[in-house]
Amino acid sequence: MWRDSGLAGKAVIVTGGSRGIGRAVVELFASERADVTFWFRHNRAAAEAVLAAAAASGWHVRAEQVDVCDPAACQAAVERVAERCGRIDVLVNNAGVIRDNLLGLLDDDDWRQVLDTNVGGVFNATRAVVPYMVTQRAGKIINLSSVAGEKGGRGQTNYAASKGAINAFTRALAVELAPRRITVNAVAPGVIETEMSREIRERAADEVRAHILLRRFGTPMEVAYTVVFLAATYGDYITGQVLHVDGGFKME
Amino acid sequence: MTDEIRKEEVLAVYPRVAEAMADALGCDVEQLVLDIPLIEGLDAESIDFLDIVFRLERAFKVKIPRGKIVEDARGDLSEADFEHDGYLTDVGLQRLREYLCEVPPDRFRAPMKVGDIPFLFTVETFCRLVVRALRAAPPA
Repeated sequence: MWRDSGLAGKAVIVTGGSRGIGRAVVELFASERADVTFWFRHNRAAAEAVLAAAAASGWHVRAEQVDVCDPAACQAAVERVAERCGRIDVLVNNAGVIRDNLLGLLDDDDWRQVLDTNVGGVFNATRAVVPYMVTQRAGKIINLSSVAGEKGGRGQTNYAASKGAINAFTRALAVELAPRRITVNAVAPGVIETEMSREIRERAADEVRAHILLRRFGTPMEVAYTVVFLAATYGDYITGQVLHVDGGFKME
Repeated sequence: MTDEIRKEEVLAVYPRVAEAMADALGCDVEQLVLDIPLIEGLDAESIDFLDIVFRLERAFKVKIPRGKIVEDARGDLSEADFEHDGYLTDVGLQRLREYLCEVPPDRFRAPMKVGDIPFLFTVETFCRLVVRALRAAPPA
């Protein structure tokens, strides 16, 4: 028998929640009656669209403009949620950028931006929530990784390095926080129908699909289901794992 | 010395420090006498120290930078003068003894690893940490 997800009323923070997978995660948590705050960097129109959709459904969703690369901004934003909710139950580190190019053509900025956002941002947001989770002796941290963290992909050295780092970060932090009953997991999507992957899907759709056992791209909601599963009571006994949601990418 | 911490300052913060520590360590407040070493006396682990610091920050509305005790003990000594290959130098050990004056002198045994410094921490160590943090930034 399925139990209740246990997410009603939980204080959830989702970084990069205005579009794509992040938005699906926000909406799925909200539909479970969680109290969701999502962060967005600059796309206010997209954030407002999420808020409008949530309001129409009667969900508790708030948006804050926070650059995950700014440690003080992350700290302050987490404190505001803690002040309002009295606790932080779930952090989903979803904010990420992609700047694909062949290594010889990557400039310093392409490298730095990807690492600063995808790894530095996870560090900044996670470090800000950990004090609350440690003292409340409970919490769920879910990091969005990628198939690129484990499979080689041309033009993705920066992105792959950042996602490989997230997988390692996830495992190490799971060990560190287990004594306080905080679970830390990563979800590694394959090619998902989002703005971020549009270029590759348009340029080489058949070639990419040929690498996917299920022969189709995934949807943001299919990734969100896994994230929410981990955050719900269903995922209580899972920690230190990287769960692949990729339709069987390159398994042949 | 003007920055010397007086016993009454320690005793003033002690009840709330003990309460925060009892919550973090899951023990009774009565066990938390001022001179009990946290690791050997109460089975505290490194994550417990973080937990204690987080709780103290919230209880007293102060900021306690991580690694503050070792950093303050080192003071104006260079890192090379304070430690060598992970062990405290003679000068470093002397500095630590002066800084952690609440810890009985016989517990400072050379050679001492920097990583073993937390074994010296007592309840009073954290009371003094709070007193210093309050002096640095008194609550509004």
